[in-house]
Amino acid sequence: MGLLTNLRDSISRVTDGLFASDEPKRIGIYGPPNAGKTTLANRIARDWTGDAVGPESHIPHETRRARRKENVAIERNGRKVNIDIVDTPGVTTKVDYKEFLEHDIDKEDAVRRSREATEGVAEAMHWLREDVDGVIYVLDSTTDPFTQVNTMLIGIIESQNLPVLILANKTDLPESNVKQIANAFPQHETIPLSALEGENMDEVYTKIAEYFG
Amino acid sequence: MPHKCTSCGRTFPDGSKEMLSGCPDCGGNKFQFKPRGRVERDEPSKGGSGSSTSDTDTAKATSTETPKPTSTDPAKPTSTGSEGVSTEHESQPTENNRTDTGTGVDTTDTKTDIDTTASDDADQTPVDPSGGTERVGKSGDEDAAQANARSDVVTPDELDRASEPVPAHDTKGPDPDSGDRPDIEELREELNEQFESIRIVSPGKYELNLMELYDRQEYIISLQEDGRYVIEMPDAWGISEE
Repeated sequence: MGLLTNLRDSISRVTDGLFASDEPKRIGIYGPPNAGKTTLANRIARDWTGDAVGPESHIPHETRRARRKENVAIERNGRKVNIDIVDTPGVTTKVDYKEFLEHDIDKEDAVRRSREATEGVAEAMHWLREDVDGVIYVLDSTTDPFTQVNTMLIGIIESQNLPVLILANKTDLPESNVKQIANAFPQHETIPLSALEGENMDEVYTKIAEYFG
Repeated sequence: MPHKCTSCGRTFPDGSKEMLSGCPDCGGNKFQFKPRGRVERDEPSKGGSGSSTSDTDTAKATSTETPKPTSTDPAKPTSTGSEGVSTEHESQPTENNRTDTGTGVDTTDTKTDIDTTASDDADQTPVDPSGGTERVGKSGDEDAAQANARSDVVTPDELDRASEPVPAHDTKGPDPDSGDRPDIEELREELNEQFESIRIVSPGKYELNLMELYDRQEYIISLQEDGRYVIEMPDAWGISEE
């Protein structure tokens, strides 16, 4: 029986490998607003395809629709991983147009952005349920990760048995605290990086190949 | 003659199948329900027949000309008093096929038409239920599909409150203080209990129930400040494969 089991496992590994090489894995970049998801998506896309995914901004909810960059081929240690990057709107439980007023946006535009951001969150949650094979969860390492949204999303991802890579972003800022993120989710490995400055991207790519390859 | 075409004035008996694909005379798709023995009066939305672009205008026009619908109307959904987006209105499966009321007509348009008509009914239907007149929603008196469709729409009351710029009414709802709450568990419980996917606190201000958004098969792709929204239905809706 042991022989049969081994044989079956071997076949399973081979078929898994075939699927992995044929079809790109769809990797959703999730996280709260302003964590640096689009900056990371652009960094990955630029590094491996030369194109960007979408505009980056310090204004929250700049990404209000999921954007996808397909067939990003990442090579690491002789291993090639094909992924579709899905940059999603920041997930939150409350959207208020007043957030935008602080950024010199008039009320009418702020209300529209607020509505679109809400639609974006709905879309992101739907994609999480239906359309992603793995998740890169981006957190701002200068802020407290113990939030309802983070806990709930990580819980959902775990319940789906999706591979998840937790990134502690914005390590270029002096108030960055990677440790508090690692402590918040001890069941997962936390990778520090600065997507803006490109710090530690080598390790990020190695982990992407390892987790999603 | 309970059903009257608002364009040409042709009337149809209750349960008439002729009107299901529009008025045979003028093609109009707005009908007013007139219970028997009722005095005729002006319609609330003149010249609105065939228009599919004035959803909110129609609703507003209705609301300004007619008083709030009474809660005694059995055709109205009992949850009309609830705040924000109640996704039941569009996603709730019904016993009868909703398209019976507006074959060949854009769904949103159909809903608006029904909405207008329903509000007019509310205006004309006396509060006193003891009269010998017909009541909207009595299954024996009206075609069941029509009665059902009439009850399956966002009410003018709800639209009014969602489109008001100042959330004066909303703050009196079941969630009086929508500010920060110290206890996350309490907030979570509250979110789960009080509303479904998305709640419009006021225009431009939303609260989202992430678990509910995640759990839904269909997903909301477009919101409007008047409380309406567009959802994308899964292909296999109703088959329940998953």
